[in-house]
This record gives sequence, structure tokens and C-alpha cells, in this order.
Amino acid sequence: MNTLSAVPTARLFPSIWKLIRLRLLLNWNAFKHAKIGRKIGTILLVILAVAFTGFIFFLSWLLLGFLRSANLTRYVGFNVAPFLQSVPVLIFALIFLGILFSSFGVLLQALYLSGDMDFLLTSPVPIRAVFVTKLLQAVLPSFGLAALFGLPVLYGLGITGHYNLLYYPLVLLSMIAVTLAAAGLSALLVMLVARLFPPRRVAEVLGFLTATLSILCSQSGNLFNSLGRNVTISGSQVNGAFALLMRFNTPWNPLSWAGNGLVALGEGRWLTGLGLVALILGLCALAFSFALVTAEHWYFSGWAGMQVVAYKKKPIRPARAHSASAQPVQENTNLAGAQMSRLLPAPVRAIVQKDFLLMRRDIRNLSQLVTPLIFGVFYTFIFLRPGGSLFPDNPANPTIFSTISHLISSYGNIGMSLFVGWMLLSRLAGMAFSAEGKNYWMLKASPVRSAYLLTAKFLVAYLPTLALGVIFMVAVSILQKASLASFLYGLLATAMCQAGMSGILLAFGVAGANFNWTDPRRMNAGVIGCLGQILTGLFLPISFGFFIGPLLLAAVFNWPQIYGYLAGAVVGVTVSAACALLPPWLVQKRVERLDEN
Amino acid sequence: MANSATLIETQALVKRYGDKLAVNNVSFEVQAGEVFGFLGPNGAGKTTTIKMIVGLLQPTSGTIRVAGYDVQTQPLLAKAASGYVPDTPNLYAKLTGRELLRFVGDLYSLDRQRLAQRTEELLRVLDLNEAADNTIDSYSHGMQQKASLAAALMHDPKVLVLDEPTVGLDPKSARLIKDILRQMADRGTAVFLSTHILEIAERMCDRIGIIDKGALVAVGTMNELRSLGKAGETSLEDIFLGLTGGAEEAAISEILR
Repeated sequence: MNTLSAVPTARLFPSIWKLIRLRLLLNWNAFKHAKIGRKIGTILLVILAVAFTGFIFFLSWLLLGFLRSANLTRYVGFNVAPFLQSVPVLIFALIFLGILFSSFGVLLQALYLSGDMDFLLTSPVPIRAVFVTKLLQAVLPSFGLAALFGLPVLYGLGITGHYNLLYYPLVLLSMIAVTLAAAGLSALLVMLVARLFPPRRVAEVLGFLTATLSILCSQSGNLFNSLGRNVTISGSQVNGAFALLMRFNTPWNPLSWAGNGLVALGEGRWLTGLGLVALILGLCALAFSFALVTAEHWYFSGWAGMQVVAYKKKPIRPARAHSASAQPVQENTNLAGAQMSRLLPAPVRAIVQKDFLLMRRDIRNLSQLVTPLIFGVFYTFIFLRPGGSLFPDNPANPTIFSTISHLISSYGNIGMSLFVGWMLLSRLAGMAFSAEGKNYWMLKASPVRSAYLLTAKFLVAYLPTLALGVIFMVAVSILQKASLASFLYGLLATAMCQAGMSGILLAFGVAGANFNWTDPRRMNAGVIGCLGQILTGLFLPISFGFFIGPLLLAAVFNWPQIYGYLAGAVVGVTVSAACALLPPWLVQKRVERLDEN
Repeated sequence: MANSATLIETQALVKRYGDKLAVNNVSFEVQAGEVFGFLGPNGAGKTTTIKMIVGLLQPTSGTIRVAGYDVQTQPLLAKAASGYVPDTPNLYAKLTGRELLRFVGDLYSLDRQRLAQRTEELLRVLDLNEAADNTIDSYSHGMQQKASLAAALMHDPKVLVLDEPTVGLDPKSARLIKDILRQMADRGTAVFLSTHILEIAERMCDRIGIIDKGALVAVGTMNELRSLGKAGETSLEDIFLGLTGGAEEAAISEILR
């Protein structure tokens, strides 16, 4: 008889604790076996987070104390007390909505795409325990962030308002309750979406949208700053903002109940306070329980649904359902492809076509490529807007400064094009080899020369960047009404500098190639790759200088402009071509030994 | 066996990872038309040896010749003559099966007509026709394994190297792959495969090599291996366990009691 067999406990809380302990153990092991630099970094991060919390608490205490002073009310003629009472309402509403939406991606990953689901689902642990643990694991970072910013403000508000002691533990309790309710609803939303669409695809689209929105938001700030140098905020606008905030704080809005209840409790209005806090805690418990029960039901069907979606066969397209004699290989052959097949050896062409195909099909790649495009559009707009000249005319300046500034302004489009190209190349060339990931064995086991591999990867990085640079140059030259000579020279400079950057970044990408990743967003070329980015960041103005320097000299010494063009072309093309060819040539031997560790 | 030309030859092959000796002085030959089974416990050095044969790893010392070409000094010629199926089919997930085969055909510089013909043949033979225009991330493990085999067969290699080719396959697919390998061998290809399934090795392989702790402890036909084992050890399982230290039966009984 097997004496080891035992009926495992199916109780909820011990199971949750077991799973949490497992997670803690994994984190502890990751920390214990990390490199010393990473360990120090983690410890410093924790210390910084604690210090930051203390700083926010101190700041909010000072600020709120100042806002509550009677002198201020007399001086500005505006009573800020109602606004201060609305602060907890705003914080709790932000926590609820923030966690509801920000948890979506994390929960999608944790519930449907993490590798441990098979193991957990087949182990004798209640499914509810798995769900709760995944939920806690997913919302903990968001909750930490909310607590980092929210708690000091709420506690600062309590101290400056002399709220009673019950306020403080209830703030924390309410924050936990609101977080759990939001996370539970978010999990249900995830399961609903997972029933309709393949979770992996949803994660890819979400990643793309998040990356695009983040870049848009960050750059729109720069754009508004640049456009709105003279914008001032009037007192009426501030009052309007306060009024808007207070309009949000209405009794029928459930998002305001937690904040209002806590303030009422703190101020000693016991009936209203306890009633509202009890109501919100009850509602949160109800929402969380509902999410738990429903999730338990949906989880299995959602999971099973995902498997079905993942292996669902697409209908066979009639055009493809033919015999060998139809030669399907030629179906995708277009004019450009035919040209390319004549110019390039078959392996190079195959790798280039494959990489472009994968770049287009994997939306996670696009989310990285969209960054330089947004940067390009924003900065071009800033550069070309009326009055956006880098060096505004000033009669007091010496003529030589004026000449130089006009020259730089008229060739500033090259600099802008190179900057956008640099960002694009950092991804395309710097990670050209790393992008192969675990599929690299296919290239390595095939009879492809390392020179062919480097050529293919160079083209995959260079061609889209060049195309973007040309489009950019054409658009800017038309808008700036640039001369043909200036346009052609700019085109040559852009093409050659980008080629130089491609060569350098490609070589550093080889040196730091990393094939062990599963998510393209986590692919990187390590410290060496970063060094490549820094070096090309330096190469960019230098190569630009080689092209524009002779033009400046010609302008300063009043030589014919053609001399400047010729000298710039010779020096710039030589340096750029050397940078395009030499670094890849130097790492050619290394390519043969890649992925052997 | 179709003929007796040596297509895989390793001599005093050594691979070290720092202090760890992964492969220690391994020498063997595989002839044309032969199916050679490579057996060994987990971590014995099977995959490392295979990766050196197909040019994915450089040996620390020793030589490997594939189809007469030295893998270290003539890697392109050696690779052009061999096909490789890894233990985990890591294939480009966002390519369709047909695109993958076309890509591999181009890597081996097959002409367009041959490429088209070979693609359709392999898709049909390996029963991947229906899924040929679906991306590989929608394939089951078995389909990915078959796609990986199709990719290895695209250029009709003289040497076929397979690392655990039947793991995770249903009986029908496993049988299909076994039949293909046998036919390849009958046509003169040298088939080198590692496996944990001793029944496959016993039934399919003309000769078997057993590796343990990085060293080749036995090579030969089933009859030759039987003569190496103790009296009464007639099955490959007994011979394998006898040569590699075997299972600690007493300890197992103690645990299961």
C-alpha cells in the first residue's frame, strides 16, 4: 500500500497561502540568485520607494496645512475646504478606475498566458484559490503604486484636518476593498474578452495600443509645451477646474462614497461616515464575491475556449488548395520581389522577406516601431511650425552667425531625419540578430555564410529607415520649398549617415545578441547594445557635421557652394561608408559562433 | 543498407563547458543507408553531440565530418548536406507552414520549380496540406514537429539528424515519421537519431550507440550489444540499464512500498 498517498486539503485560505508562499519563494530565489549589481539595485529601489513615500507624506502635510490656513482663504477669496474634502473622493475614484483598466493587461497575462496555468489547474488546489492568488499577484504592483501616492496624501489630509483615529485604518481598509473590487471586475472583463478573442492576440493589440498611447501622451505634452509658451492659467480657469472636480463629488456617484464616508468619519459625523464606509465596504465585498463565483464558472470555460481558438483551423482558401503543378511559390512574387531576386542571393532574399513578413504580422514588433514614427511626426511639426526656426533672426547678431543659422536651419531636416532614423535603427539594426530568438538555430544550421546573414540583417534594418528618411525629406523639402541641390544633397547625407548607423548598430547587436526571450518587448542586446546606441548617438552629429561642415566653411569663406557640396559628399560618404562596412566585417567571425553558450 | 560510404564520422570529440565535460572523447561512424540510434540517460551528452554534428556548437577538440566535409573547416558544405530536427520545434510562429518551407528552400538555394514541387510533396506526405496556410503558432506540437521534419527534408539531405523526433507525437504521426526515416535510409541517407524510446531504437535502428556521462560506452548492432551485456540481458532495456548504471530498484521499491 502506498503510505505516501494522502487526501490534500481543499480549504480555500490554506491553499491561497500555499500559492502565495510559492510566489514569495520564487521572488526570493530570483533575488538570492541575482547578480550583486541587481541585488544592490533592488535594495536601493526599496529604500528609495520608502523615502519617496515619506517625502510625499511630508509634502502633502505641508501643502494641505497651507491650504487649510484661514489666511489663505482670506487672501485668495476662495474657500478651499470643499475642494479638500473632494480630494479623497478623487483619489478613490482614480484608484478604482486605474486598477480596473490597468489590471486588464496584467490579469490577461496572469490568467491566460502565464506558463504555470497547466500546473496549477491540475494540482489539488481549489480553482478559487488559484484565481484569488493570481488576482493578488496581478494587482499588487498597481496597489503598491496607488498606496505610494494615495496614502501619504490621505493621511496628510487627516493630520492637517485633525481627523479622529478611526479614519486612518479605515482609509487603508477601504483602499484594499476598492482595489479588490476593481481587480475582480477587471478579471471578469478579461474572461469575457478571452471568450470572444484569442487572448494572445488581445495581449498583442493591447501592447500596441498601450505603447502608442504612452508615446502619444508623453509627446503631446512636449508639443503643447512648445506651442503654448505664452499660455497662462487664469484664476477663473482654476476655479472652473475646482468646480468640475466638485461636480464629480455628488451623492449619487458610488465612486464618491468611499471618500465622502471617510471624510465624514474623520470629522466626527459618525452616522453619515459609518453608513457610507459600511456601504462601500459591503459593495466591494459583494463585487469581489460576485467576481470570484462568476470567475470560477467562467475560468474553466474561458480557458477551454482559448485552446479551441488557438488551434482553430482557418478555412482553406480556394486559390491555395491546388496541386504542386500550380507553383505556389510564385504567388507572392511581385515586381519588387523579382527585382530583389535578381540582385540578391537566394538566402539573403529569403531572410529579408521573412523578416519583413514577421515584422508586419507580429503586432508586438509594430508597437516598438511606432515610437520613432510618432517622434518624427511630432518633432517635424514643432520644427516646421511658424516661428519654429532653430535660430530666430536677430539684427544684432553678426552676419556670419546669421549665415550659419540659415544653413543649419535649411539642413535641419537632415538632422531630424537622422534622429528619427537613429531611433528606428536602434530597434531594427541593434536587435536584428536578437530578434531571431529561439528560432536562430534555423539560420545557424543552414548553409548560409555569415556575410549573407549580415547583409540580410543590414537590409532589413536599413531599407525601412531609408524609406522613412526619403519620405520625410521629400515632405519637409516641399514644405520648406528647398532647392533641388539642397534636397538631393540632403538625401545623400541621410542615406549615407543611416547606412553608417546601421553598420555600427548591427555590429553591436551581434556582440550583445540575446536569443533567450519569449516576448519581443523584452528582447534586448544588453549593455553592449546600449553602448552601440550611445556610440551611434555620437556618430549622428559627427556624420551630419561631415556633410554640413564643408558647406559652412564654403559659406564662411565665400567659396562657391559647389565646393562645399563636393567636399562634404567626399568626406561624408567616405566616413559613412566605412562605418557601414567595417563594423559588420569585424564581427563576421563572431556571427559564426553566436548562440553557443 | 544501400551503400557503405561513411556520411557521419566523429573522432575524439570533446566538448567542455567551463569545468564540466559534456562530451568526452566520442568517436563513431554512421554509414550511408544506416539508421543510427543514439541513446543515453538525461544529461548524458546526446543533444550536445548532435548540436556539434549539425554545426550549432563548436567542439572543444576532435573532428566531425559530415558527408565527407569537415564541420569546422567546411561548415557550409557540411550543413548543405545535412538536415536537422531539434528536440523542441522552435519555428517562426508567424510564418505559415508553406512560407516556412519556402524560406528554408531559399536558404538552401533550391531553384523555384524544385522548391515548389518539394513544398507540395512534403506538405502532402506529412499531412500538413490543410494547415499549410495557417501560421505555425496555430499548430499543435505534433504538427510543429512534422513541419520541422518537412523543413529538414526540403533539400533532400544526405544526412538527417533528429533529436527525439517522436516525442509528443500521436501513434499515427510517430509511425509516419518512422516510415519516412526508414525510406530515407533505404534511399541511401544516413539517419542519426537520439531517442529515449528503446522500442524505437530496437526496431528501427541498424546500429545503436549508448552514451553515458559524456562518453560513448557501447556501439554496435543489437546482436553486438547483446554480446556486451551480462548473461540473460537480451532486451535493449536490460543492456541499456546495465551499461548506464540502471535503475536503483531497491530504492524505488522502498519509495513505492
